[in-house]
Amino acid sequence: MVTYSAPLDDMRFLLHEVLNYDNTVANLPGYEDASRDVVDAVLEEGAKFCEKELLPLNLSGDQEGCVLENGVVRTPKGFREAYQHFAEAGWTGMACAPDYGGQGLPKSLHLLLQELICSTNLSFGTYPGLSHGVYNAVVLHGSAAQKERYLPHLTDGSWSGTMCLTEPHCGTDLGLIRTKAEPSGDGYRITGTKIFISAGEHDLTENIVHLVLAKLPDAPPGIRGISLFIVPKFLVNGDGSLGPRNGVSCGALEHKMGIKASATCVMNFDGAEGVLVGEPHKGMRYMFTMMNTARMGVGIQGLGLAEAAYQSAAAYAKDRLQGRALSGAKYPDKAADPIIVHPDVRRMLMTMRALNEGARALALWVGMAEDVAERHEDSAAREAADDLVSLMTPVIKAFLTDAGFEVTNLGMQVFGGHGYIHEWGMEQLVRDARIAMIYEGANGIQALDLVGRKMPLHMGRLLRRFFHPVQAFLEDNQDDPEMAEMVMALAKAFGRLQQATAWIAQQGLSDPEEAGAAATDYLRLFALVALAYMWARMAKASQAQLNGTRPAFHTNKVVLARFFMTRILPESSALFAKIMAGKDTMMAMPQEAF
Amino acid sequence: MTMRRVAVVGAGVMGAGIAAHIANAGAQVLLLDIVPDGADDRDGIAKAAITRMKKAKPAPFMDGRAMSRVTPGNTEDHLAKLETCDWIIEAVVERLEVKQALYAKIDKHRRPGSVVSSNTSTLPVEKLVAGLPERFARDFLITHFFNPPRYMRLLEIVAGPTTRDAAVSAIATFADVQLGKGIVHCHDTPGFVANRIGTFWIQCAVREAFARGLTVEEADAVMGRPIGVPKTGVFGLMDLVGIDLMPHVDGSLAANLAADDAYHGVRVEQPLITKMIADGYIGRKGKGGFYRLNTDNGGRIKEALNLVTGEYAPATKRVALESLQASKNDGLQALVAHPDKGGQYAWAVLSQMLSYATSLVPEIADDIHAVDRAMVLGYAWKEGPFELIDKIGADYLAKRLAEDGRTVPTLLQRAAEGGGFYRIDGGRRQFLTVEGDYADVSRPDGVLSLSDIKRASERLAGNGSASLWDIGDGVACLEVHTKMNSIDENVLSMIDKALKVVPKAHKALVIYNEGDQFSVGANLGLALFAANTALWPMIEGLVSQGQKAYLGLKYAPFPVVAAPAGLALGGGCEMVLHADAVQAHAETYIGLVEAGVGIIPGWGGCKELLARFADGRIGGPMPPLAKAFETIGLAKVATSAFEAREFGFLRRADGITFNRDRLLADAKARALVLMAGYQPPEPVTLTLPGPTGKAALGLALHDLRLKGVATDHDMVVADELAGVLSGGEKADITETVDEKTVLRLEREAFMRLVRTEPTLARMEHMLETGKPLRN
Repeated sequence: MVTYSAPLDDMRFLLHEVLNYDNTVANLPGYEDASRDVVDAVLEEGAKFCEKELLPLNLSGDQEGCVLENGVVRTPKGFREAYQHFAEAGWTGMACAPDYGGQGLPKSLHLLLQELICSTNLSFGTYPGLSHGVYNAVVLHGSAAQKERYLPHLTDGSWSGTMCLTEPHCGTDLGLIRTKAEPSGDGYRITGTKIFISAGEHDLTENIVHLVLAKLPDAPPGIRGISLFIVPKFLVNGDGSLGPRNGVSCGALEHKMGIKASATCVMNFDGAEGVLVGEPHKGMRYMFTMMNTARMGVGIQGLGLAEAAYQSAAAYAKDRLQGRALSGAKYPDKAADPIIVHPDVRRMLMTMRALNEGARALALWVGMAEDVAERHEDSAAREAADDLVSLMTPVIKAFLTDAGFEVTNLGMQVFGGHGYIHEWGMEQLVRDARIAMIYEGANGIQALDLVGRKMPLHMGRLLRRFFHPVQAFLEDNQDDPEMAEMVMALAKAFGRLQQATAWIAQQGLSDPEEAGAAATDYLRLFALVALAYMWARMAKASQAQLNGTRPAFHTNKVVLARFFMTRILPESSALFAKIMAGKDTMMAMPQEAF
Repeated sequence: MTMRRVAVVGAGVMGAGIAAHIANAGAQVLLLDIVPDGADDRDGIAKAAITRMKKAKPAPFMDGRAMSRVTPGNTEDHLAKLETCDWIIEAVVERLEVKQALYAKIDKHRRPGSVVSSNTSTLPVEKLVAGLPERFARDFLITHFFNPPRYMRLLEIVAGPTTRDAAVSAIATFADVQLGKGIVHCHDTPGFVANRIGTFWIQCAVREAFARGLTVEEADAVMGRPIGVPKTGVFGLMDLVGIDLMPHVDGSLAANLAADDAYHGVRVEQPLITKMIADGYIGRKGKGGFYRLNTDNGGRIKEALNLVTGEYAPATKRVALESLQASKNDGLQALVAHPDKGGQYAWAVLSQMLSYATSLVPEIADDIHAVDRAMVLGYAWKEGPFELIDKIGADYLAKRLAEDGRTVPTLLQRAAEGGGFYRIDGGRRQFLTVEGDYADVSRPDGVLSLSDIKRASERLAGNGSASLWDIGDGVACLEVHTKMNSIDENVLSMIDKALKVVPKAHKALVIYNEGDQFSVGANLGLALFAANTALWPMIEGLVSQGQKAYLGLKYAPFPVVAAPAGLALGGGCEMVLHADAVQAHAETYIGLVEAGVGIIPGWGGCKELLARFADGRIGGPMPPLAKAFETIGLAKVATSAFEAREFGFLRRADGITFNRDRLLADAKARALVLMAGYQPPEPVTLTLPGPTGKAALGLALHDLRLKGVATDHDMVVADELAGVLSGGEKADITETVDEKTVLRLEREAFMRLVRTEPTLARMEHMLETGKPLRN
């Protein structure tokens, strides 16, 4: 059984001691209510709900999975009730605008809640997660009538949403889609097949709002000829009441490795009635505007699972008695010592925790920038924050999901054989974590996004939003003896990142394949430096509190920071060497040789 | 025979422009036009033309002095003045009887032996001199300038059967050396060379675009860059020159060409274009053309005309045709061979135009090379028709024409068999003569081509950004060859290398390249990227490296001559400032523009300008300081080499060359003069006022601020500049400051500025839009 209690102390530490939440987010127009008390209360309530309602359904949901019968998908036992409670408690509308009945809380706070949900029941989280994506799309691009019709229901959770993008022959390259939209009356008739549609059909809500990418008859070829449509499961009458079933149905459920309680559907659109969102042929542009939020959300999935894995592994390692410590028995009165006495078990636990806490800090830092980008009164501040979000989104999506898989895997390892069997829940975490590296833009695509799009954009301006704060931090702390160890390690890795960046930028100009060959290693190098920066900041904040009310808490942070700098960050050196080796050996063998 | 005094009769756009340019070259010019009925000012037309040119862009005059050399007059009161003129140019309306009547008058007043020429673009010599005395015909020729005369390099010269050789060579030499023109001797046929082929090309490209249903954006995307034509392509070109001009040119050509000329087959009247002209949609000077800038609702949207509906719609920014990509990857043959509509269009137009051009030699000129030069110089093509054929493959073209059942011109057949119209033989470039053998492309005396040298020799040293060449007689040439010849780390290390290599076997160095721009300065993109990633040591290293390299040039034990042409900005300007002597092309645009991107000159530009303004001057330190402050602070760029002298970027002793092709030879000659007994300059010491001087500049600055002229960041940049120019905190007029100190100040100020957000925003804006950001 997974052991989990929401890491609220760590979250509060980041919000209030490291990232200055009060003066960064809580002072933005419209977020005045997100005071420290409110934030703490929201997190505590969220934690309670996730621990009590969602966690108990995780293992059983995995075992039971979803079932398709006569075109109807049944979610596992308990999911309906849990969803009812979730919606009633207002969690579906937490980050929705008050105009539509939401609570209007900051996106960054919502991100923290998402972590709690993902730790306790990722499958469950996909349903409201998708709904919120649809909410964001309609808020940004829908007409007044569309907003009025759909947003209140998405906010109160009575309706859910999906994103219908992928088709059997294309996912990454959506320019190839075949789903058609024919004008008909006031709206359109949508025909085609979509696959891998999460939450495409289920029994949690009274209606489902599908956002569908399709091509109009006069569409230009490729990515610039895609339009976005709303296609509800049940048609909506003029007065807002539900009408007859629309021509959309679930044809099959995918049998898959993980997130088994999340319904992954083949959706058939057979002349389904739909309405156009925004202007024709601009569908991809609209999808791009929500991409940052969606991809950050997937990164959080990796983090959530990793946190559950760490906590379970730590509890197990303290509990499981097996063999003796290398330096002699630690608990001579017991039959054996707990396995946590072993350096190698420590290695795993420390790695897991250092990655998790660094990842959380990074995600929250960038999540807060998302709020700034949306709400700040000064346009230059908005631009700078938006740059940071755009730059770091692929880093967070790819690295946090890669780390999610690594950490859940370590968690399973700590459990030994028990990790491999179902009842302890550890192998489920590994399986659930694996998909996050694939969907919402595979991690290789994220790396290409980073080197091919984000890096050269505005002559490297996006990079400035990360490189300058790190440089400034190094300069500000270079004379602080307490920080010497952190500053030295960070400066060294940062220097490698700078050099690698310059090298890729230059190589990429003449040969894009060089940039492509470096991309994945570069993203990881970037992420490690970003985590090191976060750990340095956490260490700095903790050092100021070593004589405070919670010396143990803050001392541990410093220890973790040192562990990160000395036992994880050195990987940057290997990554740097790999990057600088160039594409030659990667591309040399002829295609036939494979 | 030099042309001390020249008369231009006819003060229209062409006449006035020709007058201005001849004045640029230093001659006195009499500009005459008729006296309009009832005019108060009998010289009104010529005066108005001069006034108009004062404001015109691009500027016809190189500086104010040139303008003062043009004297306005009229053809009733001032014909007697023609007696003093060495050359009389007629540039009146294209009507034979008007021209002939004028010639009769001119002949009465001119000095015997003076040369008379016509700027006609359509009338043959034969008709122009018909009925005029033999002595007139012997002194008469056609000199066909292209618009605008200062900037377009082609001059077509057409001599009549009785024209004196001496008259032709006098004009050709003057136009070449003094006016900087590329001379093409044409035969006396309609449209001469450039317009004969150019008009055929335009008509053909328009007809095929209409017939094949291409949009104007598509047609221009194919007919522009891929074939080495300016990006205006064909429709954009018509907008530029005036769509209303086309019927005139077309009508005159059609009337004068033989009945079996292929031109008759490509000219089709397009009702849409006829209507556009009638409605005033004649291009940029009218209500719009095939493109227009829609500024309704405060926007600036480029729109293009739909050739089917005749309506405007936002222009396609990027034409997506596979053939364009194919031509980018695999060259011109891949373009014409591509099956999509872009490829078919390219083949249709090029196959006709190139066949036509081939069929015209030797009818219109002695050889193919003359034709290529005419198109390159007169239409700004990168390559002439025969060079284009070689790019496509003469054999490919001949074979495909034959397959299509079309005539393969004899000369093309020969080229196909001989392996092309041009070849390299023993490092020399040769062209196919009409007799079927190959002859060297010869250079006139006083022309030294770096390309010729590069073809025939190995470089002394070099890397990806710059090379060192032996240009003979103990002179080496440093060539920068980056994009826009921007200066990067490699260029600087080549300078270091040159400083070591040159003394071994050479005695002087010329800095020169054959690019359009001498150098646009430091590679800003690289600097911005480094700044964005906080690579401060790298940036500072580059600043130091540049300072060291330029100082090295200045104090090298051999003379260094810089030979700029085109833009010499920022770091490019600083390179010129450090040379012992400069031989500049007249069309050199030089300036220290760093302030525009939020920085200050960091490679010794501040120091050199201060030293130059202080040199030999008596009085306090403030005047040179104030002048340098103004020149750098306002980022002044000279619009000609003459203006560069006024601004102080060039010294009185620095030379100016009008003909781009002669620049290297002139610079080398200058280096040879300096070589004998060369001694490097003495180190410079400066007397600078320090904080009091800075405070004085601050007051002036404060004024500008109050007037709203200076922006927030202008103040920051100007403050740093004032700090450097005044010699820093410790300077005092009772002591001198050495070069190293000023260089250190430059470097420190540069590093402070490059770390500010507004400076980075300025750099980014400049790189992305090409325009300065006023933040």
